[in-house]
Amino acid sequence: MKVTKEKEENRQAYITVEMEPAEMETSLQDAYRHLAQKADIPGFRKGKAPREVVEHHLGKPRLLEEALDRMLPQAYEQALKEQEIEPFAQPDMEITQTDPLIFKAVVPLTPAVELGDYASIRVTPEPVDITDENINSVIEELRHQHATWEPVDRPLDYDDLAIIDINGMVEEKPYVQKVGAQIQVLKDLMSPAPGFSDQIVGMKKEEEKEFTLSFPEDYPNDKVAGKEGHFKVKLSEIKEEKLPELNDELAGQVSPDFKTIDALREEVVKSLQARGEERVRMDFEEKVINTAIEQSRVEYPPVLVELEINRILNEQVRQLQMSGRGMDEYLQSINKTTEQLREELRPVATKNVSASLVMSKVAEAEKIEVTESDIENGIKNMTRGSAEDKMEELRKLLDTPQTRESLKQSLRTRKTIERLTEIARKTEDTKKETKTKKKKKEEEK
Amino acid sequence: MITEKSTVLQVQSKYAFEIASGANKPMIKEAVEKAFKVKVTGVNVVTMPSKMRRVGRRHVLTRPWKKAIVTLQPGDKIEFFEGV
Repeated sequence: MKVTKEKEENRQAYITVEMEPAEMETSLQDAYRHLAQKADIPGFRKGKAPREVVEHHLGKPRLLEEALDRMLPQAYEQALKEQEIEPFAQPDMEITQTDPLIFKAVVPLTPAVELGDYASIRVTPEPVDITDENINSVIEELRHQHATWEPVDRPLDYDDLAIIDINGMVEEKPYVQKVGAQIQVLKDLMSPAPGFSDQIVGMKKEEEKEFTLSFPEDYPNDKVAGKEGHFKVKLSEIKEEKLPELNDELAGQVSPDFKTIDALREEVVKSLQARGEERVRMDFEEKVINTAIEQSRVEYPPVLVELEINRILNEQVRQLQMSGRGMDEYLQSINKTTEQLREELRPVATKNVSASLVMSKVAEAEKIEVTESDIENGIKNMTRGSAEDKMEELRKLLDTPQTRESLKQSLRTRKTIERLTEIARKTEDTKKETKTKKKKKEEEK
Repeated sequence: MITEKSTVLQVQSKYAFEIASGANKPMIKEAVEKAFKVKVTGVNVVTMPSKMRRVGRRHVLTRPWKKAIVTLQPGDKIEFFEGV
Protein backbone atom coordinates (compact mmCIF):
# COMPACT_ATOMS: atom_id res chain seq x y z
CA MET A 1 0.00 0.00 0.00
CA LYS A 2 1.26 3.41 -0.88
CA VAL A 3 -0.14 6.42 0.89
CA THR A 4 0.58 9.96 -0.20
CA LYS A 5 -0.65 13.05 1.47
CA GLU A 6 -1.16 15.73 -1.14
CA LYS A 7 -2.02 18.72 0.91
CA GLU A 8 -3.86 19.98 3.91
CA GLU A 9 -6.11 22.97 3.78
CA ASN A 10 -9.29 24.15 5.49
CA ARG A 11 -8.64 21.56 8.14
CA GLN A 12 -8.95 18.84 5.56
CA ALA A 13 -6.29 16.39 4.59
CA TYR A 14 -6.18 15.13 1.03
CA ILE A 15 -4.70 11.69 0.79
CA THR A 16 -4.26 9.24 -2.04
CA VAL A 17 -3.96 5.55 -1.36
CA GLU A 18 -2.67 3.05 -3.91
CA MET A 19 -3.09 -0.64 -3.30
CA GLU A 20 -0.66 -3.31 -4.51
CA PRO A 21 -2.02 -6.07 -6.79
CA ALA A 22 -1.17 -8.69 -4.17
CA GLU A 23 -3.30 -6.90 -1.63
CA MET A 24 -6.06 -6.74 -4.19
CA GLU A 25 -5.82 -10.48 -4.66
CA THR A 26 -6.17 -11.29 -0.98
CA SER A 27 -9.19 -9.11 -0.60
CA LEU A 28 -10.74 -10.53 -3.76
CA GLN A 29 -10.22 -13.97 -2.29
CA ASP A 30 -11.89 -12.78 0.89
CA ALA A 31 -14.76 -11.36 -1.06
CA TYR A 32 -15.16 -14.60 -3.00
CA ARG A 33 -15.34 -16.63 0.17
CA HIS A 34 -17.92 -14.30 1.60
CA LEU A 35 -20.04 -14.18 -1.53
CA ALA A 36 -19.85 -17.93 -2.14
CA GLN A 37 -21.42 -18.50 1.26
CA LYS A 38 -24.52 -16.73 0.11
CA ALA A 39 -24.58 -17.30 -3.63
CA ASP A 40 -27.18 -19.72 -4.86
CA ILE A 41 -25.60 -21.42 -7.85
CA PRO A 42 -27.37 -24.38 -9.45
CA GLY A 43 -25.37 -27.56 -9.17
CA PHE A 44 -23.54 -26.45 -6.06
CA ARG A 45 -24.23 -26.38 -2.39
CA LYS A 46 -23.80 -22.97 -0.81
CA GLY A 47 -20.19 -22.07 -0.25
CA LYS A 48 -18.93 -25.00 -2.33
CA ALA A 49 -18.69 -23.44 -5.76
CA PRO A 50 -15.16 -22.77 -6.95
CA ARG A 51 -14.05 -19.21 -7.52
CA GLU A 52 -14.21 -19.36 -11.33
CA VAL A 53 -17.79 -20.50 -11.19
CA VAL A 54 -18.78 -17.81 -8.70
CA GLU A 55 -17.00 -15.17 -10.73
CA HIS A 56 -18.79 -16.24 -13.87
CA HIS A 57 -22.13 -16.54 -12.21
CA LEU A 58 -22.16 -13.22 -10.34
CA GLY A 59 -19.89 -11.29 -12.62
CA LYS A 60 -16.47 -9.96 -11.87
CA PRO A 61 -17.67 -6.40 -11.07
CA ARG A 62 -19.84 -7.77 -8.29
CA LEU A 63 -16.85 -9.53 -6.78
CA LEU A 64 -14.74 -6.43 -7.10
CA GLU A 65 -17.41 -4.32 -5.50
CA GLU A 66 -17.62 -6.68 -2.56
CA ALA A 67 -13.85 -6.65 -2.26
CA LEU A 68 -13.78 -2.84 -2.28
CA ASP A 69 -16.45 -2.62 0.36
CA ARG A 70 -14.28 -4.62 2.69
CA MET A 71 -10.97 -3.22 1.65
CA LEU A 72 -11.79 0.46 1.62
CA PRO A 73 -12.43 1.01 5.33
CA GLN A 74 -9.45 -1.13 6.22
CA ALA A 75 -7.12 0.61 3.82
CA TYR A 76 -8.43 3.98 4.94
CA GLU A 77 -7.81 3.16 8.57
CA GLN A 78 -4.34 1.95 7.83
CA ALA A 79 -3.54 4.98 5.71
CA LEU A 80 -4.59 7.28 8.52
CA LYS A 81 -2.39 5.43 10.93
CA GLU A 82 0.52 5.64 8.55
CA GLN A 83 0.07 9.36 8.05
CA GLU A 84 -0.82 9.98 11.66
CA ILE A 85 -4.01 11.75 10.79
CA GLU A 86 -6.76 12.06 13.35
CA PRO A 87 -10.07 12.11 11.51
CA PHE A 88 -12.84 14.24 12.90
CA ALA A 89 -15.75 13.07 10.80
CA GLN A 90 -16.56 10.73 7.95
CA PRO A 91 -14.22 11.24 5.00
CA ASP A 92 -15.20 11.97 1.47
CA MET A 93 -13.83 9.16 -0.66
CA GLU A 94 -13.43 8.93 -4.36
CA ILE A 95 -12.28 5.84 -6.17
CA THR A 96 -10.18 6.72 -9.17
CA GLN A 97 -9.19 3.24 -10.23
CA THR A 98 -10.44 -0.14 -9.20
CA ASP A 99 -7.91 -2.76 -10.24
CA PRO A 100 -5.57 -2.29 -8.48
CA LEU A 101 -7.45 0.09 -6.28
CA ILE A 102 -6.49 3.73 -6.05
CA PHE A 103 -8.64 6.07 -4.06
CA LYS A 104 -8.57 9.59 -2.83
CA ALA A 105 -9.94 10.59 0.51
CA VAL A 106 -10.64 14.00 1.91
CA VAL A 107 -10.41 13.65 5.64
CA PRO A 108 -11.94 16.29 7.85
CA LEU A 109 -9.65 17.13 10.72
CA THR A 110 -10.44 18.40 14.15
CA PRO A 111 -11.41 22.05 13.91
CA ALA A 112 -8.80 24.47 15.09
CA VAL A 113 -10.08 27.19 17.33
CA GLU A 114 -7.93 30.01 18.51
CA LEU A 115 -9.75 32.00 21.06
CA GLY A 116 -9.44 35.70 21.15
CA ASP A 117 -9.10 37.56 24.36
CA TYR A 118 -12.61 36.70 25.38
CA ALA A 119 -11.96 37.83 28.92
CA SER A 120 -11.77 41.35 27.64
CA ILE A 121 -15.17 41.40 26.02
CA ARG A 122 -17.14 44.26 27.42
CA VAL A 123 -20.73 44.66 26.57
CA THR A 124 -23.17 46.68 28.56
CA PRO A 125 -26.59 45.20 28.69
CA GLU A 126 -29.20 47.62 27.54
CA PRO A 127 -31.54 48.69 30.28
CA VAL A 128 -35.10 47.56 30.12
CA ASP A 129 -37.31 50.50 29.66
CA ILE A 130 -41.01 50.37 29.76
CA THR A 131 -42.82 53.50 28.85
CA ASP A 132 -46.31 54.44 29.81
CA GLU A 133 -47.03 54.23 26.14
CA ASN A 134 -46.25 50.52 26.09
CA ILE A 135 -48.42 49.87 29.10
CA ASN A 136 -51.27 51.88 27.70
CA SER A 137 -51.18 50.12 24.37
CA VAL A 138 -51.40 46.76 26.11
CA ILE A 139 -54.33 47.92 28.17
CA GLU A 140 -55.95 49.41 25.09
CA GLU A 141 -55.66 46.06 23.42
CA LEU A 142 -57.31 44.42 26.39
CA ARG A 143 -60.14 46.88 26.08
CA HIS A 144 -60.60 45.99 22.44
CA GLN A 145 -60.63 42.33 23.31
CA HIS A 146 -63.42 42.86 25.78
CA ALA A 147 -65.34 45.39 23.74
CA THR A 148 -69.01 44.94 23.05
CA TRP A 149 -70.74 45.68 19.78
CA GLU A 150 -73.86 47.76 19.97
CA PRO A 151 -76.26 48.61 17.17
CA VAL A 152 -76.30 52.28 16.19
CA ASP A 153 -78.48 54.29 13.91
CA ARG A 154 -76.15 56.29 11.72
CA PRO A 155 -74.33 55.86 8.41
CA LEU A 156 -71.63 53.18 8.36
CA ASP A 157 -68.19 54.38 9.34
CA TYR A 158 -64.76 52.80 9.40
CA ASP A 159 -64.07 50.32 12.21
CA ASP A 160 -67.77 49.62 12.58
CA LEU A 161 -69.15 46.14 12.35
CA ALA A 162 -71.39 45.77 9.34
CA ILE A 163 -73.94 43.02 9.02
CA ILE A 164 -74.33 42.77 5.33
CA ASP A 165 -75.49 40.58 2.45
CA ILE A 166 -72.89 40.34 -0.26
CA ASN A 167 -73.34 39.00 -3.76
CA GLY A 168 -70.14 39.29 -5.75
CA MET A 169 -69.59 38.17 -9.33
CA VAL A 170 -66.33 37.97 -11.19
CA GLU A 171 -66.68 37.61 -14.94
CA GLU A 172 -70.23 36.28 -14.66
CA LYS A 173 -69.16 33.66 -12.17
CA PRO A 174 -70.20 33.85 -8.53
CA TYR A 175 -67.32 34.92 -6.34
CA VAL A 176 -68.82 35.53 -2.91
CA GLN A 177 -72.35 34.96 -1.77
CA LYS A 178 -73.00 35.69 1.84
CA VAL A 179 -76.12 36.56 3.75
CA GLY A 180 -75.80 38.33 7.06
CA ALA A 181 -72.01 38.37 6.95
CA GLN A 182 -70.32 40.22 9.79
CA ILE A 183 -67.54 42.39 8.55
CA GLN A 184 -65.43 44.73 10.56
CA VAL A 185 -64.95 47.64 8.22
CA LEU A 186 -61.22 48.14 8.52
CA LYS A 187 -59.65 50.72 6.27
CA ASP A 188 -57.26 48.37 4.53
CA LEU A 189 -59.62 45.43 4.21
CA MET A 190 -58.44 43.06 1.47
CA SER A 191 -61.36 40.67 1.47
CA PRO A 192 -63.64 40.24 -0.40
CA ALA A 193 -61.86 42.86 -2.50
CA PRO A 194 -59.50 45.76 -1.92
CA GLY A 195 -61.42 48.99 -1.66
CA PHE A 196 -64.53 47.20 -0.49
CA SER A 197 -64.61 49.17 2.74
CA ASP A 198 -64.39 52.50 0.97
CA GLN A 199 -67.46 51.59 -1.09
CA ILE A 200 -69.71 50.59 1.76
CA VAL A 201 -68.74 53.33 4.17
CA GLY A 202 -71.48 55.92 4.37
CA MET A 203 -74.25 53.48 3.61
CA LYS A 204 -77.31 53.58 5.79
CA LYS A 205 -79.27 50.76 7.33
CA GLU A 206 -81.31 48.75 4.81
CA GLU A 207 -79.59 50.57 1.95
CA GLU A 208 -78.62 48.63 -1.15
CA LYS A 209 -75.73 49.38 -3.44
CA GLU A 210 -74.01 48.05 -6.52
CA PHE A 211 -70.43 48.75 -7.45
CA THR A 212 -67.49 47.38 -9.37
CA LEU A 213 -64.00 46.88 -8.01
CA SER A 214 -60.88 45.65 -9.74
CA PHE A 215 -58.52 43.16 -8.18
CA PRO A 216 -54.84 43.99 -8.43
CA GLU A 217 -52.50 41.67 -10.31
CA ASP A 218 -50.85 40.48 -7.12
CA TYR A 219 -54.07 39.61 -5.32
CA PRO A 220 -53.53 36.38 -3.33
CA ASN A 221 -56.46 34.64 -4.99
CA ASP A 222 -55.18 33.71 -8.47
CA LYS A 223 -58.66 33.14 -9.86
CA VAL A 224 -59.63 36.77 -9.63
CA ALA A 225 -56.29 38.59 -9.67
CA GLY A 226 -56.26 41.30 -12.31
CA LYS A 227 -59.98 40.96 -12.98
CA GLU A 228 -63.01 43.03 -12.16
CA GLY A 229 -65.60 42.11 -9.59
CA HIS A 230 -69.16 43.30 -9.54
CA PHE A 231 -70.73 43.51 -6.10
CA LYS A 232 -74.30 43.88 -4.91
CA VAL A 233 -74.63 44.56 -1.23
CA LYS A 234 -77.42 45.15 1.22
CA LEU A 235 -76.60 46.56 4.61
CA SER A 236 -78.86 45.29 7.35
CA GLU A 237 -77.27 46.46 10.56
CA ILE A 238 -74.52 48.72 11.81
CA LYS A 239 -72.79 48.08 15.08
CA GLU A 240 -70.30 50.24 16.85
CA GLU A 241 -67.51 49.11 19.07
CA LYS A 242 -68.13 50.14 22.66
CA LEU A 243 -64.90 49.97 24.59
CA PRO A 244 -65.34 49.09 28.20
CA GLU A 245 -64.48 51.71 30.76
CA LEU A 246 -61.11 51.44 32.40
CA ASN A 247 -62.37 50.34 35.74
CA ASP A 248 -62.26 47.47 38.16
CA GLU A 249 -64.96 45.69 36.23
CA LEU A 250 -62.74 45.41 33.17
CA ALA A 251 -59.97 44.08 35.37
CA GLY A 252 -62.31 41.39 36.63
CA GLN A 253 -63.27 40.50 33.07
CA VAL A 254 -59.68 40.03 32.03
CA SER A 255 -59.09 37.65 34.87
CA PRO A 256 -60.97 37.04 38.09
CA ASP A 257 -57.67 37.39 39.93
CA PHE A 258 -57.59 41.11 39.40
CA LYS A 259 -59.81 42.93 41.80
CA THR A 260 -58.91 46.42 40.74
CA ILE A 261 -57.69 48.15 37.64
CA ASP A 262 -54.49 48.98 39.46
CA ALA A 263 -53.79 45.31 40.00
CA LEU A 264 -54.29 44.75 36.29
CA ARG A 265 -51.96 47.57 35.45
CA GLU A 266 -49.36 46.21 37.79
CA GLU A 267 -49.59 42.81 36.18
CA VAL A 268 -49.21 44.34 32.73
CA VAL A 269 -46.11 46.19 33.87
CA LYS A 270 -44.73 43.03 35.40
CA SER A 271 -45.20 40.94 32.29
CA LEU A 272 -43.83 43.69 30.08
CA GLN A 273 -40.84 43.95 32.35
CA ALA A 274 -40.24 40.22 32.27
CA ARG A 275 -40.59 40.11 28.52
CA GLY A 276 -38.30 43.07 28.12
CA GLU A 277 -35.70 41.59 30.42
CA GLU A 278 -35.79 38.32 28.56
CA ARG A 279 -35.30 40.11 25.28
CA VAL A 280 -32.49 42.23 26.61
CA ARG A 281 -30.83 39.18 28.07
CA MET A 282 -30.99 37.36 24.76
CA ASP A 283 -29.72 40.37 22.86
CA PHE A 284 -26.94 40.75 25.33
CA GLU A 285 -25.95 37.11 25.16
CA GLU A 286 -26.00 37.16 21.42
CA LYS A 287 -23.81 40.22 21.35
CA VAL A 288 -21.31 38.67 23.71
CA ILE A 289 -21.21 35.45 21.73
CA ASN A 290 -20.85 37.32 18.48
CA THR A 291 -17.94 39.28 19.80
CA ALA A 292 -16.34 36.13 21.09
CA ILE A 293 -16.69 34.57 17.67
CA GLU A 294 -15.34 37.62 15.93
CA GLN A 295 -12.32 37.61 18.16
CA SER A 296 -11.56 33.98 17.58
CA ARG A 297 -9.99 32.42 14.60
CA VAL A 298 -11.91 29.32 13.71
CA GLU A 299 -10.89 26.88 11.05
CA TYR A 300 -12.96 23.81 10.36
CA PRO A 301 -13.65 21.39 7.57
CA PRO A 302 -16.64 22.39 5.40
CA VAL A 303 -18.35 19.08 6.20
CA LEU A 304 -19.33 20.53 9.54
CA VAL A 305 -21.48 23.14 7.87
CA GLU A 306 -23.14 20.47 5.74
CA LEU A 307 -23.82 18.41 8.83
CA GLU A 308 -25.32 21.39 10.57
CA ILE A 309 -27.53 22.11 7.57
CA ASN A 310 -28.67 18.52 7.67
CA ARG A 311 -29.46 18.86 11.33
CA ILE A 312 -31.53 22.01 10.79
CA LEU A 313 -33.36 20.43 7.89
CA ASN A 314 -34.12 17.34 9.92
CA GLU A 315 -35.49 19.49 12.66
CA GLN A 316 -37.71 21.29 10.18
CA VAL A 317 -38.93 18.02 8.75
CA ARG A 318 -39.80 16.85 12.24
CA GLN A 319 -41.68 20.01 12.99
CA LEU A 320 -43.52 19.78 9.70
CA GLN A 321 -44.48 16.22 10.41
CA MET A 322 -45.92 17.30 13.71
CA SER A 323 -48.12 19.76 11.90
CA GLY A 324 -49.07 16.98 9.54
CA ARG A 325 -47.30 18.18 6.46
CA GLY A 326 -44.51 16.62 4.52
CA MET A 327 -41.28 18.23 3.45
CA ASP A 328 -42.20 18.09 -0.22
CA GLU A 329 -45.42 19.90 0.38
CA TYR A 330 -43.64 22.56 2.39
CA LEU A 331 -41.02 23.04 -0.28
CA GLN A 332 -43.74 23.49 -2.80
CA SER A 333 -45.55 26.01 -0.67
CA ILE A 334 -42.44 28.18 -0.39
CA ASN A 335 -41.62 27.42 -3.99
CA LYS A 336 -38.08 26.23 -3.42
CA THR A 337 -36.00 23.18 -4.07
CA THR A 338 -34.07 21.41 -1.37
CA GLU A 339 -30.85 22.80 -2.80
CA GLN A 340 -32.12 26.36 -2.56
CA LEU A 341 -33.24 25.81 0.98
CA ARG A 342 -29.86 24.36 1.85
CA GLU A 343 -28.13 27.35 0.33
CA GLU A 344 -30.33 29.63 2.37
CA LEU A 345 -29.53 27.80 5.55
CA ARG A 346 -25.82 27.94 4.89
CA PRO A 347 -25.08 31.28 6.59
CA VAL A 348 -27.04 30.27 9.66
CA ALA A 349 -25.36 26.91 9.77
CA THR A 350 -21.94 28.49 9.37
CA LYS A 351 -22.62 30.75 12.27
CA ASN A 352 -23.94 27.93 14.41
CA VAL A 353 -20.87 25.88 13.74
CA SER A 354 -18.46 28.61 14.67
CA ALA A 355 -20.53 29.50 17.71
CA SER A 356 -20.56 25.98 19.02
CA LEU A 357 -16.86 25.55 18.32
CA VAL A 358 -15.97 28.75 20.09
CA MET A 359 -18.27 27.91 22.96
CA SER A 360 -16.78 24.51 23.53
CA LYS A 361 -13.32 25.98 23.39
CA VAL A 362 -14.25 28.59 25.94
CA ALA A 363 -15.76 25.90 28.10
CA GLU A 364 -12.48 24.09 27.89
CA ALA A 365 -10.47 27.16 28.71
CA GLU A 366 -12.70 28.11 31.59
CA LYS A 367 -12.80 24.53 32.85
CA ILE A 368 -16.54 24.45 32.86
CA GLU A 369 -17.79 21.11 34.02
CA VAL A 370 -21.22 19.67 34.17
CA THR A 371 -21.68 17.52 37.22
CA GLU A 372 -23.95 14.55 37.66
CA SER A 373 -26.17 16.53 39.98
CA ASP A 374 -26.59 19.21 37.32
CA ILE A 375 -27.87 16.59 34.96
CA GLU A 376 -30.17 15.18 37.62
CA ASN A 377 -31.59 18.63 38.10
CA GLY A 378 -32.04 19.06 34.39
CA ILE A 379 -33.99 15.85 34.16
CA LYS A 380 -36.10 16.90 37.10
CA ASN A 381 -36.83 20.16 35.37
CA MET A 382 -38.01 18.31 32.33
CA THR A 383 -40.44 16.25 34.39
CA ARG A 384 -41.79 19.26 36.15
CA GLY A 385 -45.26 20.18 35.04
CA SER A 386 -46.43 16.64 34.64
CA ALA A 387 -48.69 14.90 37.11
CA GLU A 388 -47.22 13.68 40.36
CA ASP A 389 -47.76 9.99 39.69
CA LYS A 390 -46.42 10.19 36.19
CA MET A 391 -43.29 12.04 37.23
CA GLU A 392 -41.31 8.99 38.23
CA GLU A 393 -42.34 7.19 35.08
CA LEU A 394 -41.32 10.08 32.90
CA ARG A 395 -38.08 10.44 34.77
CA LYS A 396 -37.21 6.84 34.04
CA LEU A 397 -38.09 7.36 30.43
CA LEU A 398 -35.84 10.37 30.15
CA ASP A 399 -32.98 8.90 32.08
CA THR A 400 -31.17 7.41 29.12
CA PRO A 401 -27.53 7.87 28.23
CA GLN A 402 -28.55 9.82 25.13
CA THR A 403 -30.67 12.31 27.01
CA ARG A 404 -27.94 12.66 29.56
CA GLU A 405 -25.38 13.35 26.90
CA SER A 406 -27.48 15.92 25.08
CA LEU A 407 -28.49 17.50 28.36
CA LYS A 408 -24.87 17.67 29.33
CA GLN A 409 -24.08 19.39 26.08
CA SER A 410 -26.79 21.96 26.41
CA LEU A 411 -26.02 22.60 30.06
CA ARG A 412 -22.40 23.07 29.19
CA THR A 413 -23.24 25.60 26.52
CA ARG A 414 -25.63 27.33 28.87
CA LYS A 415 -22.99 27.55 31.57
CA THR A 416 -20.43 28.80 29.13
CA ILE A 417 -22.73 31.53 27.92
CA GLU A 418 -23.41 32.49 31.50
CA ARG A 419 -19.72 32.63 32.22
CA LEU A 420 -19.07 34.74 29.18
CA THR A 421 -21.83 37.18 29.96
CA GLU A 422 -20.66 37.34 33.53
CA ILE A 423 -17.20 38.29 32.35
CA ALA A 424 -18.61 40.81 29.95
CA ARG A 425 -20.80 42.37 32.59
CA LYS A 426 -18.79 42.39 35.76
CA THR A 427 -15.97 44.20 34.22
CA GLU A 428 -17.76 47.41 33.84
CA ASP A 429 -16.21 48.32 37.20
CA THR A 430 -12.78 46.87 36.61
CA LYS A 431 -12.65 48.62 33.29
CA LYS A 432 -13.23 51.89 34.97
CA GLU A 433 -10.57 50.97 37.44
CA THR A 434 -8.03 50.23 34.78
CA LYS A 435 -8.92 53.40 33.06
CA THR A 436 -8.46 55.42 36.18
CA LYS A 437 -5.23 53.59 36.81
CA LYS A 438 -4.08 54.43 33.35
CA LYS A 439 -4.98 58.00 33.86
CA LYS A 440 -3.09 58.05 37.07
CA LYS A 441 -0.10 56.61 35.38
CA GLU A 442 -0.31 59.15 32.66
CA GLU A 443 -0.56 61.85 35.21
CA GLU A 444 2.46 60.48 37.00
CA LYS A 445 4.36 60.63 33.78
CA MET B 1 -23.05 -29.65 -17.12
CA ILE B 2 -21.35 -27.99 -14.22
CA THR B 3 -21.95 -29.21 -10.73
CA GLU B 4 -19.93 -29.58 -7.63
CA LYS B 5 -19.13 -33.14 -8.47
CA SER B 6 -18.28 -32.38 -12.09
CA THR B 7 -15.86 -29.64 -11.18
CA VAL B 8 -14.00 -32.06 -8.97
CA LEU B 9 -13.80 -34.51 -11.89
CA GLN B 10 -12.44 -31.87 -14.24
CA VAL B 11 -9.04 -32.27 -12.61
CA GLN B 12 -8.95 -35.79 -13.99
CA SER B 13 -9.95 -34.52 -17.45
CA LYS B 14 -13.44 -35.87 -17.03
CA TYR B 15 -16.41 -33.87 -18.17
CA ALA B 16 -20.07 -34.43 -17.57
CA PHE B 17 -22.82 -33.94 -20.17
CA GLU B 18 -26.51 -34.29 -20.19
CA ILE B 19 -27.32 -36.39 -23.21
CA ALA B 20 -30.26 -37.50 -25.26
CA SER B 21 -31.84 -40.67 -23.88
CA GLY B 22 -31.35 -42.52 -27.14
CA ALA B 23 -27.63 -41.84 -27.35
CA ASN B 24 -25.07 -44.62 -26.86
CA LYS B 25 -21.37 -44.54 -26.03
CA PRO B 26 -19.94 -44.46 -29.55
CA MET B 27 -22.33 -41.67 -30.48
CA ILE B 28 -21.26 -39.61 -27.49
CA LYS B 29 -17.60 -40.18 -28.20
CA GLU B 30 -17.98 -39.03 -31.76
CA ALA B 31 -20.07 -36.03 -30.84
CA VAL B 32 -17.69 -34.78 -28.15
CA GLU B 33 -14.63 -35.28 -30.30
CA LYS B 34 -16.24 -33.37 -33.14
CA ALA B 35 -17.70 -30.55 -31.09
CA PHE B 36 -14.69 -29.77 -28.92
CA LYS B 37 -11.90 -31.20 -31.07
CA VAL B 38 -10.46 -33.42 -28.35
CA LYS B 39 -9.61 -37.10 -28.04
CA VAL B 40 -11.99 -39.11 -25.92
CA THR B 41 -10.56 -42.16 -24.17
CA GLY B 42 -13.57 -43.34 -22.28
CA VAL B 43 -17.27 -42.76 -21.88
CA ASN B 44 -19.38 -43.72 -18.90
CA VAL B 45 -23.12 -43.35 -19.11
CA VAL B 46 -25.45 -43.09 -16.16
CA THR B 47 -29.18 -43.18 -16.37
CA MET B 48 -30.60 -40.87 -13.81
CA PRO B 49 -33.78 -42.34 -12.38
CA SER B 50 -37.03 -40.49 -12.37
CA LYS B 51 -38.06 -39.15 -8.99
CA MET B 52 -41.30 -38.42 -7.25
CA ARG B 53 -42.04 -34.75 -7.12
CA ARG B 54 -45.11 -33.02 -5.86
CA VAL B 55 -46.96 -30.77 -8.21
CA GLY B 56 -49.61 -29.08 -6.22
CA ARG B 57 -51.55 -31.90 -4.57
CA ARG B 58 -50.49 -34.63 -6.98
CA HIS B 59 -47.35 -36.73 -7.03
CA VAL B 60 -45.67 -36.76 -10.40
CA LEU B 61 -42.69 -38.61 -11.78
CA THR B 62 -39.90 -36.46 -13.19
CA ARG B 63 -38.60 -37.49 -16.56
CA PRO B 64 -35.64 -39.88 -16.38
CA TRP B 65 -32.52 -38.63 -18.10
CA LYS B 66 -29.07 -39.73 -19.09
CA LYS B 67 -25.74 -38.32 -18.17
CA ALA B 68 -22.37 -39.14 -19.68
CA ILE B 69 -19.00 -38.77 -18.03
CA VAL B 70 -16.44 -38.43 -20.77
CA THR B 71 -12.76 -39.03 -20.08
CA LEU B 72 -10.35 -37.20 -22.33
CA GLN B 73 -6.84 -38.04 -23.33
CA PRO B 74 -4.52 -36.70 -20.64
CA GLY B 75 -3.67 -33.07 -21.41
CA ASP B 76 -6.77 -32.36 -23.44
CA LYS B 77 -9.16 -29.75 -22.21
CA ILE B 78 -12.56 -28.51 -23.12
CA GLU B 79 -12.18 -24.75 -23.14
CA PHE B 80 -15.91 -24.27 -22.95
CA PHE B 81 -15.87 -25.41 -19.34
CA GLU B 82 -12.89 -23.40 -18.26
CA GLY B 83 -13.65 -20.52 -15.96
CA VAL B 84 -17.35 -21.01 -16.33
